[in-house]
Amino acid sequence: MYIFLCKDSIDGIFTGVYDAWASRYGHQNIALTTHTPDNYSLFDEYISVPCDYDKSAKVARTLYNRMGDETYQEIYQAASALETCHSRKSIDKADAIYKTIVLALSLPDASKVLHYLGNPYINRAFQLSLCTGNEAHHLLGFLRFQELENGILFAQIHPKNDVLPFLGEHFSDRLPEENFMIHDATRNLAVLHPQGKRFFITDTKELNHEMLQRLSPQEMEYRRLWRTFFDNIAIEARINPALQNQNLPKRFRQDITEFQ
Amino acid sequence: MNTIPIDMDLTEKLTILSDAAKYDVACTSSGVDRKGNGRGIGNSIAPGVCHTFSADGRCISLLKILFTNECIFNCAYCLNNRDSDVRRASFTPDEICTITLEFYRRNYIEGLFLSSGIMVSPNYTMELIYQTLHRLRTIHHFNGYIHVKALPGADPELVERTGFLADRMSINLELPTADSLHKLAPCKSRNTILKPMRQIQNRITDNKQELTVYRKAPRFVPAGQSTQMIIGATPENDFQIMSVAEGLYEKFSLKRVFYSAFVNVNGNSMLPALPGGPPLLREHRLYQADWLLRYYHFKVSELLSEERPDFNIFLDPKCDWALRHLEYFPVEVNRASYQTLLRVPGIGYKSAERIVKARKKTCLSFDDLKKIGVVLKRALYFITCSGKMMYNTKLEENYICENLMRDKTQIPKDIREGGYQQISFFDRELQSEFQLTDAEILT
Repeated sequence: MYIFLCKDSIDGIFTGVYDAWASRYGHQNIALTTHTPDNYSLFDEYISVPCDYDKSAKVARTLYNRMGDETYQEIYQAASALETCHSRKSIDKADAIYKTIVLALSLPDASKVLHYLGNPYINRAFQLSLCTGNEAHHLLGFLRFQELENGILFAQIHPKNDVLPFLGEHFSDRLPEENFMIHDATRNLAVLHPQGKRFFITDTKELNHEMLQRLSPQEMEYRRLWRTFFDNIAIEARINPALQNQNLPKRFRQDITEFQ
Repeated sequence: MNTIPIDMDLTEKLTILSDAAKYDVACTSSGVDRKGNGRGIGNSIAPGVCHTFSADGRCISLLKILFTNECIFNCAYCLNNRDSDVRRASFTPDEICTITLEFYRRNYIEGLFLSSGIMVSPNYTMELIYQTLHRLRTIHHFNGYIHVKALPGADPELVERTGFLADRMSINLELPTADSLHKLAPCKSRNTILKPMRQIQNRITDNKQELTVYRKAPRFVPAGQSTQMIIGATPENDFQIMSVAEGLYEKFSLKRVFYSAFVNVNGNSMLPALPGGPPLLREHRLYQADWLLRYYHFKVSELLSEERPDFNIFLDPKCDWALRHLEYFPVEVNRASYQTLLRVPGIGYKSAERIVKARKKTCLSFDDLKKIGVVLKRALYFITCSGKMMYNTKLEENYICENLMRDKTQIPKDIREGGYQQISFFDRELQSEFQLTDAEILT
C-alpha cells in the first residue's frame, strides 16, 4: 500500500489526489490521509505531499468540468469538513474523497457519483459534505456582526469545519456596501470584504485585538434593543429550554450577542 | 383607549410592540431566492435562515413586530383588543426602517415581519404599512425578506400595492369555522378574510404570467401567502381543522398554514382556561399531518374521518395510518415506487429520494438504509430488503403498535419534558389531562 500524506486543506487534499493519480501505482494500492499516523505500518510506503496550488487548481478544474457545479460543491464541502466530524472511527476524509473522485471519473456521468450511497467511501464523503453544509447554514444565521469605531463590521466564529468560503460568498452578496471581516478563531483565518470589492481570505496572526475592542457609539444601543426584542418575543406559557438547546447548540453561543 | 406618550423611547416601543406580536406564529423567511443587486443591502435564500431561538424554543428569523397595538377591533382571544388594559404604542415608518436596517447589518435578522392592530381604520393602518415598506425598499434599497399582513377590510388596491413590495403576505384565518370567528372576533368576518386571500392568490397567478412574458416585471408576493389558525380556543376537532387546511392548500394555493396552540392571555370568560398549558401536543400532531399533506401526498380523508375526528396522541399520524392499513405492507425497499416509500413510517421524503437513486446502483441492505437516514426503529416493521424482514417481526396491529409506543420520540422530548407540561409517557394523568382539556373546550 502506498499512503499519501497530505495537508488538511482543500489544496492539500487536491494536491494529494493529483499526485496519487499521477503515481500510477494503481488505485487499489493507494490510500490518502491527512494526519501522520501514530504508528507507521511496516509494509506500507508513506509519501508526503507538499501543497501545490497549480496541481490543486488542475484537479479542481477537472472536477468542476466533469461533475458540474452541484456535485463539485459537495466534494468541496466534504474536503472542508473536520476529519472527526460525524464519527470518529471512520474512513479517512482524504481517502473518501479520492475514492469518490476515482469512481466519479469512471462513470459516464460523473455528476451522479453521490447516488452510490451504498458505497462506504461515497457515503462517507456525503456525510462529510452534509456536516460542513449544515454548519455553514447554521452560521448564516448565528453569526453576529458588531460595528467597530471605524465603521467595520466584525464577526467572530468558532466553527468545527472550514466554512469561511461559504460565509464569505453569502455575506458579500448580502452586504456589498459594507467593509466587513469574519474571523475564524479556531483556524486563525478571516474573510475580509472591502466595500464594493470581492472578498478574500487571509490569516490573522497579526490581528490587532485592541482595535476590535473599540466599538462604535451606537453599537451598545442596538445590542440592548436586540436583547429587548429577544427577551420579549418568547411566549411565557411555552418556555422550553430543552427545545431551545436542541435548536441552538451551546457551542455556538459564545459568539452570539444575546447569549453573552 | 389610552393615549400614547409622545416621547416614548424606542426601547419601550419595541418592548410593547414585540410583546404584542409574539403570538403570531409564522417567522419563516423561506420561499424566495434573490441575489443581492450589488448595491443597497440584502438578499434572500429559498430555504430561509433561522437567526436565533427564543426561550420558548421557537425560531427567530424575522424582526416580528406590530406597527401599532392601538386597535379598534375586539377579538376575544387577542391581548390588544380595544377593551383590554395594556400599554399602547405605535412606531413611525422611519423608526421601523432604522431598526430593521441596523439589525439586518449585524445579522440579527433575516428581514421584517410587520403586522399591526387596526388603528383608526383598516385603510389608514394599511397605508402606513405600505409607507414603511416603500421607504425600506426604495429609499434604503433594502433587498431582504419582508413578510407583511394584509389587514382584513383594507382596500384591495392598497393590498395590491403593498404586495409588490413584500415577499410574503398573510391574512390570518384565526379560527377554523365562521361560527367561531363570529363569536370571538365580531369585527372580522369570513368574507373580509377570504376575499383578500383570493385577491392575492389571483394576483400571484397573473404575476406568474407577466413574468413569463417579461422576466424583469415587478414580482408580486414571490414567496406566496400563508395563514394561521388558533387551536384549542374553540370546539372544532382535528378533522375540521385539517379539512380547512386542505381546502386552503387546494383552493387558495397557500404556501403554508400555521397552527397556534391557544394561550389564554386575557382571561376572557368566553374562552377555555387550559390549566394544563397550551395544547402543544395537539399542535404538534397537526403540524405532522400538515407535512403529510404537503410533502407526502396524503389526503385528510385518509388520516381522519367523522368517526375518528381527532389524531391519536400517542402515535404520529403516519404511524397511525400505517397501522390501520397493514394490507399495504411490508414494502420491498428495492422495488417499491417513490410514492409507496413515502407512506412508510420512518422513511422521510429525503431518504425516499436517496433510496430511489441509490438502489439503481446496488441492492440496498438494512445497513445501507440506516446510513441513508431511514429511521429503522419505526420502518423495520413495514419493510423488506431483498425479500427479508430485518428481524422476525409479526405484521399485526397490536404487536407493532405496542413496539412503536416504546419509541419515546413518538411524543417529542421537548413536549414530554418541556417547561410547563411535565408528562411521562404512560402517565394516566396525561390522558385525563387531555380529556379534561377537550371536555372543557366542548362545553
